Amino acid sequence: MTFEELFRGYWWLMFPIFGMFIALLGMFQAENRSRQVMTLIKSYLDQGKEPPPELLKMAQERSDYEMDVGLPPGRGDKSWTFVVFLALAAGFGVGYWWIREESWSFPFLIVAVTMGVLAIGSLIIAITQRRP
Amino acid sequence: MTEELFRDFWWLMFPLFGMVMAILGLARDNANENQVLRQARQKLERD
Repeated sequence: MTFEELFRGYWWLMFPIFGMFIALLGMFQAENRSRQVMTLIKSYLDQGKEPPPELLKMAQERSDYEMDVGLPPGRGDKSWTFVVFLALAAGFGVGYWWIREESWSFPFLIVAVTMGVLAIGSLIIAITQRRP
Repeated sequence: MTEELFRDFWWLMFPLFGMVMAILGLARDNANENQVLRQARQKLERD
């Protein structure tokens, strides 16, 4: 098997591999940052000093790599997550339908089914979750 | 690497560019956070 054949067969793998790489890297960075921030805040408090506001802001910030899809908290509601997943499921579903005769169409189907399941899950959460 | 391969996959340069930008953004965010932490540590040691 030449490089070209290998690339043609598995080019799509670069996306999930990149996603996994970035997710892992972001998770480790966020974990490391949280630990450092907490240690520093504790050092400030131990010495009876007020921690700098930038440090407190960093401690309160949500990580970009938390598994949360949708608008930032406070701006949207859970139904927005359902809409996002539904749109992704519909997009990949239509994509699969158009190329279903091709041998490499199965990734579209896998993503469409995954997004469909996530859409159903988020709809259930949106319906059952109590509003504040 | 043939011309045909490039013709079939030229559009990949757009997601690849996105990937490079994502990595650069991650590195930049990390550098900014490290700078804030370093300054806070220096302030703690100085005061």
